Parts: sequence; C-alpha cells; structure tokens
Amino acid sequence: MSALVTDKTDYDVLNVVALKKMATQQVVAAASGVGEADVGPVLARLAEQGLVVMAAGSAFPTDSAEPALADAAARLYVAVRADPGIGELVGRFELVNSQFLTTMSAWQQIDVGGRKVANDHSDSEYDDKIIGRLDKLVARLGPLLDALAGHDARFGTYPARFTAAATAVDQGRHEFVSSPTLDSVHNIWFEFHEDLLRTLGRARTE
Amino acid sequence: MSGFTRAFADADPDDVDWLGGKGSGLVRMTRQGLRVPPGYVVGTGACRAYLTSGTLPDGLLDEVHTRLAALEAQAGKTFGGGPLPLLLSVRSGAPISMPGMMDTILNLGLDRGAAVALAEATGDSRFVADVVARFHTMYAETVLDALDPGAGVDALVAAVDPGEDPGAVYDRVWAACEETLLDETVPADPREQLAGAIEAVFRSWNTRRARTYREFHGIPHDLGTAVVVQSMVFGNLSDDSGSGVVFTRDPVTGEPGLFGEYLAHSQGEDVVAGTRTPDAVADALAPGLLAELRGTAADLERAQGDVLDIEFTVERSTLYLLQVRSAKRTPEAAVRIAADMITEGLTTSAAALRGVSAEQVRQVQRPGFDDADVEAARSAGRLLTSGIGACPGQVSGILVLDPDRAGERAAEGADVVLARTVTSPADLHGMIAAQGIVTATGGSTSHAAVVARALGTTCVVGAGALHVDEAARTLSVDGRTLREGDEVSLDGSTGELFAGRFAVSTPAAATGALGALLGVAADAAGAEVLARVTLPSDVAVAREAGATGLVTAVDDVLVATGHLDGLVAHLLADGGRPAALDGVADLVEREFAPILAAAGDVEIGVRAIDLVADEARELLQQTAVTTRHPELTVPLGRPALLEAQLRGLARATVNAGGGSRVHLAVRHVSDPAEAAALRELGRDTGVGVGAYLTGPRAAFAAKEIATAGDVLWVEVRTLQAAVFGIPARHLLTAEPLDDYVRRGLLSCDPRVALDPAVEDLLVRVAAAQGGGCRIGMRLSGRVSEQMAAQLHGLGFRRFAVDVGEVRPLLLALGKAALQ
Repeated sequence: MSALVTDKTDYDVLNVVALKKMATQQVVAAASGVGEADVGPVLARLAEQGLVVMAAGSAFPTDSAEPALADAAARLYVAVRADPGIGELVGRFELVNSQFLTTMSAWQQIDVGGRKVANDHSDSEYDDKIIGRLDKLVARLGPLLDALAGHDARFGTYPARFTAAATAVDQGRHEFVSSPTLDSVHNIWFEFHEDLLRTLGRARTE
Repeated sequence: MSGFTRAFADADPDDVDWLGGKGSGLVRMTRQGLRVPPGYVVGTGACRAYLTSGTLPDGLLDEVHTRLAALEAQAGKTFGGGPLPLLLSVRSGAPISMPGMMDTILNLGLDRGAAVALAEATGDSRFVADVVARFHTMYAETVLDALDPGAGVDALVAAVDPGEDPGAVYDRVWAACEETLLDETVPADPREQLAGAIEAVFRSWNTRRARTYREFHGIPHDLGTAVVVQSMVFGNLSDDSGSGVVFTRDPVTGEPGLFGEYLAHSQGEDVVAGTRTPDAVADALAPGLLAELRGTAADLERAQGDVLDIEFTVERSTLYLLQVRSAKRTPEAAVRIAADMITEGLTTSAAALRGVSAEQVRQVQRPGFDDADVEAARSAGRLLTSGIGACPGQVSGILVLDPDRAGERAAEGADVVLARTVTSPADLHGMIAAQGIVTATGGSTSHAAVVARALGTTCVVGAGALHVDEAARTLSVDGRTLREGDEVSLDGSTGELFAGRFAVSTPAAATGALGALLGVAADAAGAEVLARVTLPSDVAVAREAGATGLVTAVDDVLVATGHLDGLVAHLLADGGRPAALDGVADLVEREFAPILAAAGDVEIGVRAIDLVADEARELLQQTAVTTRHPELTVPLGRPALLEAQLRGLARATVNAGGGSRVHLAVRHVSDPAEAAALRELGRDTGVGVGAYLTGPRAAFAAKEIATAGDVLWVEVRTLQAAVFGIPARHLLTAEPLDDYVRRGLLSCDPRVALDPAVEDLLVRVAAAQGGGCRIGMRLSGRVSEQMAAQLHGLGFRRFAVDVGEVRPLLLALGKAALQ
C-alpha cells in the first residue's frame, strides 16, 4: 500500500521533486508556486511518509513517490479529466508537441545530404529561424496552460519559466534552448508534458 | 523617385547598411551576372522614417508601384492578373542578422484573377489551392500574428481536384482561410498585401525579441531593416520547368562533383515535403541546363573559395538561382574539402584551414569500431537488434537498466550503456553518466534523443524488440536475455546494439585527408607538439597523430603499471636514509624501460613525482605521506627522491638501448636557486633536467630558471588558476565557471582565453626563449583555439597536450600562423 497524498500542497511539492528527481527548496518553490518558507515543512512531512529523502540540501523522490502521485492525481483531477475543453486542447497539443520535438532536433542537428550532423551554431540565420519557431510553439501552449491554470494554479508557473528561458536565449545564452541541466525551453516543455500526462492519468508514448 | 528603393541590378552590394544582409547578397549575385529572379530592395532609410513617424513615408508606395511595373515588364508577368501572374516574396533583411524579425512571405500577389490565371498556366487547381492556403497562412501568421489555421484547411486543399474550376476553388479556400481568423482579415487586393507586408517588416524591427537581442549585443536600435521584394519563378509551369538543390561537392563525404537533386514540374516545397521523390541532378536535368549549372557552380566555388549549397528553379528552360549559401557539411567532408581545395589551388591554405574547426577534427578522429570486427560480429550473431540512430558514436560498455545504478557504476570507472524502455527528465543523472543510451520506444525527436544530442552521448532510440525487466534486471530481445553488467556495444549512426565489446581505434579518415590538412597546418605553425603518454602502446598513437615528442609523469606511469602501493610504501618507509629510496629507482627503471624503448630517439619529457598535485591527493595518500614528510611538499625538499628518479631513468635509458632523449622536470619550481640545485642533481646522470612553472613567482623568474635547465614548461591552466585564485580542477569542468561566466562575473573565461594578467607573465617567459633551454607550454584538457592562437602570438612554438588534442592543436596553431 503506497502512502497517501491528500494535501494539495503536498502534491504540488512532491510533483516537482518527482519531475526533477533532485531539487532544492528554492527550485521546488519556483516550479510549484508554493512559498519558499512553506516548502521546508512540506518536504519534512513527505520525508516522514517515505515519499522523499533529503540529502545534501536537496529532496529526492523514493520509489513510492510515483504511485502516490498517480493515486492522488486520479482523485484531484477528476474535473480536469472530464473537461471537454481541455480534452480538445490536449488533442491539439499532441500536434504542437510533435512540431516542438522536430524543431528541437533541428536545433541540435542539421540535415546534410540526408545525414544528420551536429549543429555547430555557426549559422546565426538558421539558429534565429529555429528560435523564432520555438517561440511560436511556446505561444501555442498558451490556451492549454490558461485552461489548466483555471483548474489548478500550478500550471500558471510555466509561462513565467518559459519567458525567463526565452529572454535568456534572446540575450544570446543559447544553452537555454536545450541544455538538460538548466531550466531550458526543452526542460520546461518536458516537465510540463510529464505534469500534463500525470494530471490526465496518461502514459508517455515516447 | 525619392530614393527609398533600389533594383538589384542598380545597387552597390557593399552598401550593406542601406541594403541589409540579404539584399546585399542578391545585389552581389545579380551584379556578378548570375541569374536571380529580379527584384528590388526597400532601404533601411524607409524603415527609419517609419519608426520615427509611425506611418509609411510619403512617396514610398508610389515608388514601390513603379518598381512593380518594371518587374512586370522584366518578367513578362502581371501583378494580380494573367496570363501569367507575377507573385512576390517579401523578406526582412537587417544589416546585421537578428532573431525576432519577420519571416518570409511567399506567393504574395494572389487575388482571384491571379489565382485563376495561375491555374490555367499550370493546369493544376489543387496546386493553386495549396498556394492560396499557404500564402494566407503565412500572411496571417507573420503580418497579423494569427495562429496556424489547423487541419481543416489542409483537408480542404487535399480534397481539391486538379481539374476543378479554379475560380470556385479560390473562393472556397480563401473563405475557409478567412474563417480561421478571429476579427482580422488578409487583404484580397495584391497591392494592399504588399503594403501590409512591407509595414510588417518595419514593425518587426521592434519586436521584444529583436530589441532584447540588440540590447544584449550592443547593436543600435536606430539602424532599421531593409525589405527585399523579389519576383517568384515557377518550377511547375511545364515539363521543362522544375526545382532542385545542389551542393558543389558531396556534403557527406566531401567528394568533388556536383551533388544534388532535381524534380521536374515541381515547386521547391515538393522536394522539401517529400511528397515526390526527386532525382539525381545529373540524370534529371537537361544537358544544356546541367552544363550551365555546372559552370555556374564551379565559378561560384572559385570566387567564394568555399563549397556552396545552391537552391535553383528552372522556369520554361531558364535557370534561376534562388539562394547560394555556404554548404553545411559533415566533419569528414569539411576536412576532405579543405584538403582538396588546397590541392586544387582553389583557396589559400589560410582560408582552407579556417573552414575546419578543432571540434570537427575531434569528431573525425573520434575512435570507433573496426569495420571488419563489426562484420564478424554480425556473422557471429552478436547483433541483438537495431533501432534509430539518434546521436552518432560507437561505444562499448556494461549494460545498466536504471539511471541511479548507471551513475554508481560510472562513478566506479565503468563505461556504461544505459538501456531504458523510455526516458524522462528524472533519468537525466543516469544519462549524463552513461557513455551510450538505448531506448525501446521513441523516435529521433524523443526525450532520449534530444537529451543525448545535447550531451553529445551516443544514442539509439526506438529499438522496439527490447524488453527491459527492471525488477529482474534483465534485457530480453528476440528470445535472448542479457543481465545487467553484461557487455554490450552501441552504434549511434546505424542504430545497432551488439552483445559483447569491440576494440576501438582511430578511423581511417583521421589519417587520410586530415593528415594532409594537418601537414599544411604543422608546416605553417613551425611548432613542436609533444603528446602525453602513459603506456608504451600510447607512443604509436601519439606519433600517428603528429606528435613530435612525448611527455609523461613518474606517478602516472607507476599508477598505470600497478605500482602505486609500492611507491607509497617506499615513500612512507623512507626514514631519511638515501638507500630507502632505492626501491623508487628500481620501480622507475623497470617501468620506464619499455616506454623509452617505444619512444626510440623521440624526445620524452618526464614529470617528477608531485605529492601536492590535486590529482594525487587520494591516490598517493597525500596526507599520510606529507604529514610524516612535510619536506615532500616543496619541490626540492627531498633531493634523494629526485636523485632516485634520475637514477632510475638513467638505468632505464641504458636498458632501452641508450638512444633516449629524456629529461626530468619538477613541478612548482619558482626560484633560480631551486633550478640551480636541480641542475646539480642532474649533473652527469645523462638525463636532462628542468622545471614546470605553475605560479606567477616562477613566471617572474623564468629567465633565470631557464638558464639553469634543459627544459622549462609552463602549466598554463595551473598558472591561470593561480592568478584567478580558482582551484585548477575547476578549469576542466563546466561548473562552476559556466554559471559564473554567464552571470557576467568574469570578463575572461580562463578555460578559453588567456587572461591579460597571465599574458603579461607569459611575455616574461617568452623573453627567456632563445637560450639553450627549450621552453614550452603545457596545455591540459581540451585545447581552446583562441588560447592556442594567443600563445602562438606571444611567440611560443613548443607545446605539450593530451594525445587526443594533438590534431586539434596543430589545426589551431596552423590557423594562428596563417592569420
């Protein structure tokens, strides 16, 4: 029997820890919308339940975290799952998501005579075009994020994170496009996708 | 005319500030006599006027319309009518390329009359439906900021019969497109479309993204952008029309000769969309056109000294060039092209070397499996399964099925291949630790693929036959079962997963064209490059890479040959009696003889045991040893230890045949008196002596220290770290400096460039050159091209690097020499 997550704040905090696999209190606060001062006690509670372990100032999810979140999401998001408006937006998201992934690949690799070669970012015109496309794709998440935020304010944290990453990219910090170790556009997108799947109780296809 | 616009044929291509980058390129091509579809540029002045007043300047539209009439006459087409409609492309073109500017609008000029005429000219109403929908979407997205119309319009276009009445088709498609807009409309009148597009380009100058970019890069906000208005040509008018893309050489292999594709009776988009399969250009293009294209390609290549990517359209047997760009190429092709272009006399050595980066050299020399081994493994049934190659590379390692354990095994020093059903951000730590990643699900854009490419880690995705059982820690595939810890090999290009391990070696490409190119670089650089080796077998690898000499270290060799415990025991046991260190001399003699034999008469520098090195802290039980013998923490604190090493090396030289050119260099020497004392220790041993300079004090005394030695090395990384006050090991890793530099807290990234303060010190060292002492720069980790150029500029011609960095360094030095 997995531990039960009944409190919504507990869910939000555990959700971020599970998405990031390792997160400091600041990171949890920024990505969950839970106040930084409140995060500590919540993590302590979750640790007591065996859902996270604390080490070196960071929280790590235990094996019980995922099942507990899945259980809780099934209870918390009955209304979201039943919302036909969201259902339609999610259907459209699948298309945007596949365009996003293709664009992300184009950022990393260039097609050369049918072979993929790492983009060495020497062609700023090419890069600018891709950054422009990513910007548009992120803009297309807007309606879905707004609709989800209507059910759960947590989804309101994503636009601010996207904007911060996009600003960094525009300032020439191109690692904020796809770096797996920063709060990059790709990372935020991916966490959102994971979060969405958990909220809807669906499994990732790829 | 009031001078807001200039035709391609009448402008001066050097006036980039007025024409913008794209406009200047088209003007240049036109002036070179290349046939590009005619057009004109609305200069940056009109944009500045617009930005000041908020409206299009008086007279601009009159001028635009006059230019239009000229274009109509030149092309024999009519804007907004038949028999052949003139359609335009409208693009932004700032003097400096930047993000946030308006995208291209194609097919501008379509009203009902033009659409009907186009359908009659092409005999294809579905094509016209497609063009109409595409134009509407582009205009709506770029000018009106609308979202894409969704699948409804696509389905409508697909349902159009090519023979249908074009007027009805236009009405239907246009109405459906308008339906997708909320409260805005795309003008149906071509002249309004043109004015709207020009204004949208001007507006895009001030998008948030463009402003952020300009602010960050210090580009003035008042430059303004130009607008390029160009007539479009049609590759789908007739059977003697078509479109294609060629490279002046094969961009995959670099092989000379026109390489590309052509599709008759098509627009460029058909080739891109993959709806029809194009033909090889040499087979499909009419002989006259092929000859013309060949001639043009050769001329352009000679003029630009580079391999080019040419987009072209044939309209009724007339060849038009749409775009000519420097061709993207694989690292292998980049190297071969540079070597060939020097041989063919198409470019200077300097330009050819500039076309290749150190990173490309690293990729070309990246060790891989031997083809014969792979073939044998396939025949032997070792191929487990194939997926989609997502990030190239060939690696062998132990199979691990969980990211946490991947991290643990990697930390123990194992090469890990991480196999997962699917990856998510939660797996990242394991993916970073792994040498290779393979997943059962996902395509080339899946999470695993994107992350692997960001990390540069070999990756195969979508190997659907794999079944990962995390609980049992097994991986089964087609009835075979592997356990975690079994050896596997992964090829990120072919997507193959093999059971067992392969030996890796330098690929043939690294010795062929690259060898020739680096020969040119080395001749220009006139530098000695010594490579770091540890085992006798490293020597041949270093020599093959072009190393003129070798460096190694006593502690490295003893660790690699398993004598670490012996060394520590000798150091701890030494009670101050000289004989106690005989054991060290014996170890050095025994383990250096093979490496000296392998080196033959090639110079080999040996670094003496260093007990305070970062790297030695744990290995050498630093604290235990230096607590008992604090004198070992200063360079000449225990002369007997140096004597023992000199003795051992001298005997090893004799055992190796006597022809060795060997020296022993001591780290952290900073005083001429130390150097003089070292000189005395080395006297009559047959082994040269010298110093490794690691700090500013040593650099100040470089001249005097050099006088007393045979060699002098500067450890550039350690010196930079000392000057910055940052632990030297941080200069080899991404963090913490990536973040620190990003936050603007360091004006110089010490991993990439020499700091001015360090340059000052090195000027002193450079001044010590010219005597009998050989002065060199020891670089560790990845060689930075910039730093190599700075050192070359200071006059240094002797370097020592890791074996894998010999070729990148030679390239960097060659470039620097020919600058």
